[in-house]
Amino acid sequence: MKMRSWIFFFLLNLGAAGLWAQPANPGYKPVTQTYALKNATVVVKPGQTLQMATVIIRDGLIHAVGTNLAIPADAKVIAADSMFVYAGFIDGLSYAGIPQSRQPAAPGQAGPPQPGQQAQRPANAANPTNEQAGIQPEIKARDVLSPQEKSLEDLRKLGFTAAHVVPQGRMLPGSGALFLLNGNTADEMLIKDNTSLFATFNGARGVYPSTVIGVMSKFRELYKQAEQAKMQEAMFAANPAGMAKPANNKSLQAFYPVLDKKQSVYFAVDDIRSIHRAMTLQQELGFPIVMAGLKQGWYVVDMIKSKNIPVLLSVDLPKAKETPKAGEKKEGEATKPDPEKEQLEARATEEMKKLESQAAVFAGKGISFGFATYNGKPAELRDNLRRMIKNGLTEDQALSALTTTPAAMLGMSQALGTVEKGKMANLMVSDKPYFAEKSNVRMVFVQGNLFEYEAPKAAPAAAPGRPAGGPPAASVGGKWDYAIDAQGDEYTGVLTITDNGGAVSGSWSSSQIPGNNPMNNPVLKDNQLTFSSQINMQGQDLTLEFDLRIQGGSFTGKVSIPQVGTFDIKGSRQGGPNGLE
Amino acid sequence: MKNSLLLLSFLLLGVWSFAQPRTGSILLKNGNVLTVTKGALQNTDVLIVNGKFTQIGKNIVAPAGTKVVDVTGKFVMPGIIDAHSHIAIDAVNEGTAPVTAEVWVGDALDPLDISIYRALAGGVTSVHTMHGSANAIGGQCETIKLRYGSYNPEDLRMEGAPRTIKFALGENPMRSHGEGRGIQPRTRMGVEQVIRKAFAEAKDYDAAWAKYHAEKASNPRALPPVYNRRLETVADILKGNIIIHCHSYRADEIYMLLNVCRDFGVKKLCFQHVNEGFKVAPELADFGAGASVFADWWAYKFEVYYSTAYNAAILTRNGVVTSINSDDAELMRHLYHEAAKSQHFGDLSDDEALALITINPAKQLGVENRIGSIEVGKEGDVAVFDQHPLSVYAIPQLTIVDGIIRFDRQNDKKDMRLEVDPAQPIPAFNMEDHEHVDRCMQGTEDLWYYLFDH
Amino acid sequence: MRNKTGFLMLFLLLAATVLSAQVAKPRKGTFALTNATIETITNGTQKGTLLIQNGKIAAIGSSVNIPAGTETFDCSGLTIYPGMIDGGSTVGLSEVSSVSLTNDFDEIGEITPQMEALTAVNPNGAAIPVTRVSGVTTTLVVPENGLLPGTAALINLVGYTPDQMYAGAKVMVMNYPSGGRRGFFDQRSEEDIKKEVERNQKAMNEVFDQAALFAHIDSAAQKDPSLKKAFNPEMQALAKVIRGELPLMIEVNSAEDIKAAIKWVQERKLKRIIFSGVAEGWRVADEIAKAGIPVITGPILALPTRASDPYDSRYANPGLMHKAGVKVALRTSSAENARRLPYNAGFAAAYGMGKEAALRAVTIVPAQIFGVDKEMGSLEVGKDATLFVSTGDPFETKTQIKYLFIDGYMTPIDSRHIQLYNEFLNRATGVEK
Repeated sequence: MKMRSWIFFFLLNLGAAGLWAQPANPGYKPVTQTYALKNATVVVKPGQTLQMATVIIRDGLIHAVGTNLAIPADAKVIAADSMFVYAGFIDGLSYAGIPQSRQPAAPGQAGPPQPGQQAQRPANAANPTNEQAGIQPEIKARDVLSPQEKSLEDLRKLGFTAAHVVPQGRMLPGSGALFLLNGNTADEMLIKDNTSLFATFNGARGVYPSTVIGVMSKFRELYKQAEQAKMQEAMFAANPAGMAKPANNKSLQAFYPVLDKKQSVYFAVDDIRSIHRAMTLQQELGFPIVMAGLKQGWYVVDMIKSKNIPVLLSVDLPKAKETPKAGEKKEGEATKPDPEKEQLEARATEEMKKLESQAAVFAGKGISFGFATYNGKPAELRDNLRRMIKNGLTEDQALSALTTTPAAMLGMSQALGTVEKGKMANLMVSDKPYFAEKSNVRMVFVQGNLFEYEAPKAAPAAAPGRPAGGPPAASVGGKWDYAIDAQGDEYTGVLTITDNGGAVSGSWSSSQIPGNNPMNNPVLKDNQLTFSSQINMQGQDLTLEFDLRIQGGSFTGKVSIPQVGTFDIKGSRQGGPNGLE
Repeated sequence: MKNSLLLLSFLLLGVWSFAQPRTGSILLKNGNVLTVTKGALQNTDVLIVNGKFTQIGKNIVAPAGTKVVDVTGKFVMPGIIDAHSHIAIDAVNEGTAPVTAEVWVGDALDPLDISIYRALAGGVTSVHTMHGSANAIGGQCETIKLRYGSYNPEDLRMEGAPRTIKFALGENPMRSHGEGRGIQPRTRMGVEQVIRKAFAEAKDYDAAWAKYHAEKASNPRALPPVYNRRLETVADILKGNIIIHCHSYRADEIYMLLNVCRDFGVKKLCFQHVNEGFKVAPELADFGAGASVFADWWAYKFEVYYSTAYNAAILTRNGVVTSINSDDAELMRHLYHEAAKSQHFGDLSDDEALALITINPAKQLGVENRIGSIEVGKEGDVAVFDQHPLSVYAIPQLTIVDGIIRFDRQNDKKDMRLEVDPAQPIPAFNMEDHEHVDRCMQGTEDLWYYLFDH
Repeated sequence: MRNKTGFLMLFLLLAATVLSAQVAKPRKGTFALTNATIETITNGTQKGTLLIQNGKIAAIGSSVNIPAGTETFDCSGLTIYPGMIDGGSTVGLSEVSSVSLTNDFDEIGEITPQMEALTAVNPNGAAIPVTRVSGVTTTLVVPENGLLPGTAALINLVGYTPDQMYAGAKVMVMNYPSGGRRGFFDQRSEEDIKKEVERNQKAMNEVFDQAALFAHIDSAAQKDPSLKKAFNPEMQALAKVIRGELPLMIEVNSAEDIKAAIKWVQERKLKRIIFSGVAEGWRVADEIAKAGIPVITGPILALPTRASDPYDSRYANPGLMHKAGVKVALRTSSAENARRLPYNAGFAAAYGMGKEAALRAVTIVPAQIFGVDKEMGSLEVGKDATLFVSTGDPFETKTQIKYLFIDGYMTPIDSRHIQLYNEFLNRATGVEK
């Protein structure tokens, strides 16, 4: 619906594979893969907690859970006295591990035509290839998932150990599979293949089907054609005599498990309109459906309950509005009351409340739901979960949505979702109850492999009243990871700064744009670093203006591109806040 | 405190109840009733029970519990019908192919569109919301009733209304495909052949299915043709199951489509815009095709340069079933005024002028037995005005759809949005006063430089 | 039978030839409109005769002496109104709006104040007769887009050269840097809009600083011929605004922009300011009234500027501003449909402005704003004979215009629309030839 800035055409048409490195392999085998988490509070499953309990992990499985357990001699004992152990979270629908460059390029699209230039649309717009049309249900997540993608690590450090990953794309991007969030190859990470046929209402760019009405029609046509093809293939297999060979269209063949009701269509829906559209198709064609990414689901909660439709709610919420501090009035602004403004703000607050209460409404109706991150931002997940809990979702309900419900939806309850003997050793350990403010994920076990996380150190308070002309601020030199938030899409890369006592120079690279781009006119003043940079995209020069505010080991700021837009950027120093590289 | 109360009620109820009744009962007392088909009745009551007109007359006593509204001195007319609009849909043009009969804007209904309320405030109760004009054969359209307040798109549909489809002739399909992409059609010759080809292929497709069905009984190994929704839809047109609503301007192209339809036996045909319809009015009347026109738009593109605001009058006088439409979310709010212009440009009578926005568009949409006039048995769609609706000073007071008040000027809440963006409490200032933009081309934004061009 | 039809055809053809040989043209003369109701605007409603002589209104009253040789029209049951003035349009500047080469209101460049709309008025544009036969006799033709797109000119819709059409007023046009969106296709972020506004405001201030400096030097140079005067058409045009010789008409629409624009003109001590557009004037009507800046608003038949606004905010806008004490004139901003001016006024009247104020808003008020109220805008002796005779209230659609006089010229009630009606109401052939 919302037309995206042209930047996406530029960014998405380009791109190299992700360059994010996994944590370095130490080069020798771990001494033991048996662990004993001792004296922890163990949340076995939603509603069931053991105090001062021990969890023993062996061979990638949960070997034992309980109090007064004998600790095996080969175990590495981890004193978890003040810690909380949970089943590792499961992301119900995710793009984690899918490289950005997987986004299909549109033919002949290169942004708005320049003045005087004719907009040429692709000549084959009416009959595009399946790839151009975004119709590739035959693509398997396991064939496109890249274990090196940073998005996997981003999800893992939040406590997720498994994710139902689908290829990213347009109408029919492919089929999904359930993966562990650790491994050297997609195959190694794979828990269960062919868990879903993924569908969206996103039309192709400039080719058929380009709109939601095109997608709706094409979906019906493909479905019926798949039924025909399947029948013909069966006839041919039974007796090929006198029959033309079936066409063997692999896109149609990808529908067969859905036709057999062995696989669900996971439909990306968010607002109320797309929820109804997905329902329309489901009612007409009768396929098993999972609605994924709901944001306005409260309008249809009764329908979803009565039709027993499995749902995954979005973890996304609009940013909470900052309430202006008292006495922070704009200069010269009269204090006369503005009833219109107040009323509009009240409506916005009310709407926000509805969004924040969606999960509670579903839970209140007794509907089991999972969460999907594909249309949210992992970095905001924990804040958003807390906001949902503040609005009536219980912690147990939240935990179910992150563990047992998605495990059941994906048919893996026997192996995932709880901290019980015999289950996969997918665990998350936090230093406070997970949903509490300021709790930190300290350990994540993925199939018995331990990932440890430092609690973030409190940022050192800036020394007050530093005399002017005093000692220079700490060097900003080094390598910084950055992420640009482009209206929901994230662009990441590395910023390299050389700091010679305040005289800075440097360059930046992007995992989406090839090449290293020098900083032009960098100026560092106090903690503010500004510079510009020129990049050339498809023959067009773009100037990016960076404006960063550096605080210790991290920065926030803006990147603006004239004619395109301004985007938030944030970053952190590689190797932690001290940057000891 | 207020928030937590809100939250509590939210959780206790589970959710607000969104299922709402679609029909209601109401008695309008003592109005000047403009029935359109049965003349104007002074000091007359109109009773709607469960969404239908049940009685029109004097001193009607309403069933107990019926809402009664005194409309003394006011004017009561049938709910206005807009035969050409693009409101309440999320997609207008699937502009990627010259023929896209299979797509349907009914798949993209948006019940939250504020334009619905604004149209109600102009006395409109039913709308033909259409695919755009980028393609020679565009998508199917949807006839909706303005049941604003529901979050369910299904509530907008006028159940049982005939299927309709958008065709387009002239500059728009030529520009989208010929100029924009270098494929046919680039001329009005090409437009004809694109349509003829689609009709011929659909005929063959239908024959292939007929053959398959005949053969299947005796031969279980018979194979069906490959399912094709595009040809399936065009075949439905040829069978008379879908009414063509064709975007057109010039007399020659209008005449062309009459010939093509005649050749293929297609009878259900209504021309849209049809600015030069007046030049072939006898031919349109002879064919029995309808014409849905603008009151006075012209010269916004070359193919409407030689048109006249007297179009509706000439067509009406030549016996063509004529309506006046908006094609625009603003114009739609004063279709009564657009109809009144036919009295300036051609001296139509009050009933003739009112018919342009009531019974005539109802005929063009195939729903004249249900809406378009105030008659017992028809659906209770009503617009109440403080003055005669053909006066420029008339202000719609009350708009009733299926017996339910959907707009009441006395109780207008001002902010009538159904959807609020919490990140933007005060909606952005957004002005769209350019009157020349061809809304029919909405959704072909990859050609959006045209918008800047004019 | 066949012969009869043939004869009829021949007759019709002959008639057509005769008619085309005598194309009706605007003509000057002495005309008396008798037994009329006369809506003077400034002196109430009168009954009697209006005499047109030498292009001017020579007499109004119940006992007017009609000179010999006067062409007299009995206007019993009819009403005379002054010609309606559209406060802003592109009539004559645009022939077919989607064909860019026929559009002459949008020159390249952000700062082009030297562009003269009057130059590009096509006296033979098809829209000119179409517009005037609806009683819209006069319009300000306005160049568009950019910060300073040029100079607008008031024209009468009769004449064979732009100078013959010129109605004696020009205004410099400025588009106040807008923080609003331009339409559904405008997808810029809030941040980008803000930046662009800041950039444009900076440019606006710079150009006005330069213009003030130029005017100062130019004045000095007039006294001291030794000072060199360089060719600087932009500054020469703007200097007229600085010196108060030319009004500055600022197009401004959102409430925030209106407030900022008021502050801006006050800080710069600019005189002869007009605001145009003013779509959200109702939100800040008191501020506009206090600043004493007259407003040309329209189109009135327009959508609210915000999704949360009352549905009728644009219809009610002129009335709300008028009630707050703002001097309000109306406009259509149209090229081919400036004939909708009376209907825009009718809606303004219905939604709060009242008929009388709405009528003034398309006659005497715009004349006052443009400084030509001594010549037009009402029916007064000595004023230009720019008026029409109608069957009644010109805002009502049923009303027909019977006689039309522009700048003293009796102008035929004829246009392409009327000609096509006459030809096609009963076409020469039916379905069969």
